Amino acid sequence: MDIFGSFALLLAFVAAVYAFAAGIAGILTRRSLLTKSARSAGMAVFGLITLAVAALEYFFFTNDFSMAYVAAHSNRALPAFYKFAALWAGQEGSLLFWSWLLSIYAFSVLFLNRKKHPELMPYVGVVLAGVQIFFLMLNNFVASPFHVLGAADASGVFHLARLSEGNGLNPLLQYPEMVIHPPMLYLGYTGFTVPFAFALAALLGRYPGEKWIHITRRWTMIAWGFQGIGILLGAHWAYAVLGWGGYWAWDPVENASLLPWITGTAFLHSVMMQEKRGMMKVWNVWLVFITFMLCILGTMLTRSGVVSSVHAFAESSIGGWFVVFLAIILAVCLAAWYKNRDYLRSDNQLDSLVSRESGFLFNNLILLAACFAVLWGTLFPVFSEWFTGSKISVGPPFFNKVNIPIALFLLFLTGVGPILAWRKTSLDALRRNFAWPLAGGFVAGAIALVLGFWNFYALVCLILSVFVALTIFSEFYRGARVIASRDHVNLVSAAGELTLRNTRRYGGYIVHFGMVLIFIGIAGSAFNRDVQKEMAVGQTLAIGPYTILCQNFDQVANNNYQSDRATLEVFRGGRSVMMLYPERRFFLASQVTETMVAIETAPLRDLYVVYAGRSPETGKPVIHAYLNPLVKFIWFGGLIVALGTGLALLPGRRAALVLRPAAERSWGGGAVADGVSPARIVARRTDGYD
Amino acid sequence: MIRRSLSRIFWSAALALLVGALVFVPAILAQDNAEPAPELSPAQMARSNALSLKLRCMCGGCNDTVGTCNHTGGSFSGPCDTAKAMRKQINQRIARGESDDLILQDFVQEYGSEVLVTPPAKGFNWLMWIAPIVLPILAFVLVWELVRRWRRHSILLPEGPAVSPELLARARHEAGGESHE
Repeated sequence: MDIFGSFALLLAFVAAVYAFAAGIAGILTRRSLLTKSARSAGMAVFGLITLAVAALEYFFFTNDFSMAYVAAHSNRALPAFYKFAALWAGQEGSLLFWSWLLSIYAFSVLFLNRKKHPELMPYVGVVLAGVQIFFLMLNNFVASPFHVLGAADASGVFHLARLSEGNGLNPLLQYPEMVIHPPMLYLGYTGFTVPFAFALAALLGRYPGEKWIHITRRWTMIAWGFQGIGILLGAHWAYAVLGWGGYWAWDPVENASLLPWITGTAFLHSVMMQEKRGMMKVWNVWLVFITFMLCILGTMLTRSGVVSSVHAFAESSIGGWFVVFLAIILAVCLAAWYKNRDYLRSDNQLDSLVSRESGFLFNNLILLAACFAVLWGTLFPVFSEWFTGSKISVGPPFFNKVNIPIALFLLFLTGVGPILAWRKTSLDALRRNFAWPLAGGFVAGAIALVLGFWNFYALVCLILSVFVALTIFSEFYRGARVIASRDHVNLVSAAGELTLRNTRRYGGYIVHFGMVLIFIGIAGSAFNRDVQKEMAVGQTLAIGPYTILCQNFDQVANNNYQSDRATLEVFRGGRSVMMLYPERRFFLASQVTETMVAIETAPLRDLYVVYAGRSPETGKPVIHAYLNPLVKFIWFGGLIVALGTGLALLPGRRAALVLRPAAERSWGGGAVADGVSPARIVARRTDGYD
Repeated sequence: MIRRSLSRIFWSAALALLVGALVFVPAILAQDNAEPAPELSPAQMARSNALSLKLRCMCGGCNDTVGTCNHTGGSFSGPCDTAKAMRKQINQRIARGESDDLILQDFVQEYGSEVLVTPPAKGFNWLMWIAPIVLPILAFVLVWELVRRWRRHSILLPEGPAVSPELLARARHEAGGESHE
């Protein structure tokens, strides 16, 4: 069976090489048969890697501890759910998983477009195959997941070995979210390969117009959405499992996952400039290139441990391969761009400084500044060691100091941008649109001040958040009011109709609203409190309005772990409000202790209690309690972002409108009066693409 | 009279403290870690918390600060033994009345500059702080210049056909009031 898996992987590699070579040959010789066979080979890669993944999972489920990877990451007592997830618990499996997800994307792209864009798709296939070759090379020759255990004896004969029991899965990973978080992130990382492939293909093939942007918009959003969900799930996992009371530590791997998400965000905004105005063509192509390179860099940081990180579950010297691959990508991108730079010549014009266009320019500037700051801080220890030889660390204070002002400015633009009209906005219109939301923001700020929440950044964040939320509501309200009065429906269903009619625009607003909630949640961390105390049964601990009474300490055990558990009763205002059971689990297979945090979550605050262990001096249990305001806003905001992203993926009802009689919607029929279509005037303000 | 007896009490207390210090401090210094965790006042505790977030846990298995270290494998999961020992050292030094700077300095001497969560803005490391400020400003100037150039470019273009008020009104009506220009 291990031969079966290795052989499937090897065949996948051969198929990818064939798809690459035959694809290039097909483009050069213009033989459609070659191109077709290249495409089929590209699709076959998916089937072959699927077989390899199935083989590896088979070993996990049959507890075959003669396989090195299975012995290292599983044991008999591991629940089936986690046996499945153990696939990506270490280096080799993660890389196989990467290849597999990429092959799913590649297959879907090739299959869905098999009868479309005959000029473009061969190039796309070649780029996809090129990326697959790299990862399959790692899977086959550098980090094969199908190594068997054993050793050669003195005479050079290899003896197989089989362990009776495996090492078990890292307990940190034994958490339901850990089964979802890595696949989500990997779907993001791999998904950005699709827009990259189309961008590079369009550039290489000099494919006319903005078509590649239209084709890849949904693919980019899918990758971007997965990446965002993956990041948030990771944050939630850190919060719920690591037990230090926070969700984001600016760990190198967290940063690495944030980088392509930021540039992807910039790309999703700046493509509108190209679609609407034919501007920024070079910029967009490079944004996609950079996003993809950051994905590869992120994978490298995660997998190689170049920068020390808690995530380096399996560190190795694989980094060198990635550096070479990154250099190749950069060289190919530079060459393709240099050779075809005339194809990207765009007609850049701005009518006014106060316009949607300049809003997008600054949005991109700010996002790239944030990306740079994060990348710089993440890689600086490496630079410093190269140049000065001394090891340094770059921790949260740096990232917070640099990124908080940037993020707040971005939040401001989130409110301003959508209200700016394309081409030009009069100051009068600005005043009209901004006065109330801004006033609302300041009122909220004043209320917070009166209530005693004094923290500069948190206050600015609150004011801006309320401002942005109100501008979003006013956009919905204005659109919905018109529909409501015309179709005689209530405002809520009118808002629904409005959203479905232009999913891209209003889905985008919903995403913005979700981000506002996340910002509010993050601002809440300025008011975190924590208390740590040794507690015997019957003793109490006070935090904020709560009093925690220690009722009991006991022990629970099963095949997988033994657990020390505290039973705590929480009082508020003298009344018992809830019970909490924080635990410390000792995992038998891996001989590792982990905390299980007890979190009582409410909309406005989390009570987060950790059983920190027994004090070595007194032997008494130590309870660490945190009161974290507004954390729930972050997770809820993430849900809203996911919802908005899903909405923006739906086709808008705009297409249907075009078919209605011209008398009702004359611009849809393309009616022309006085030499100017009303649609053109309207398009300055409202359009499917804004 | 009262003043004299007060001053006598003061001086004898001071003498007792001095003798105590002479006897005990060397003993304390000699067995640094055997010293029980000192009781800190809330203000001192706040200083200790702040310092513990400025220092990195040097256990080698994590990327956390002393205050947040919670990595797997510590015999006392969260914080690990290294972090706890470092925390204790901080508390003892605070209890002794040492300044924050002195404490940080001693940690750097013991572990190297890696122990600081962010390096001081000196020498090569100055670049780390300055780049994320300077580069966005440069980029901002660049974008600003670009915007100006693109604007100038567009002014040279002829104006489009004039829009009559009737047409504008019609367009607004048909746009269903979505236009606010």
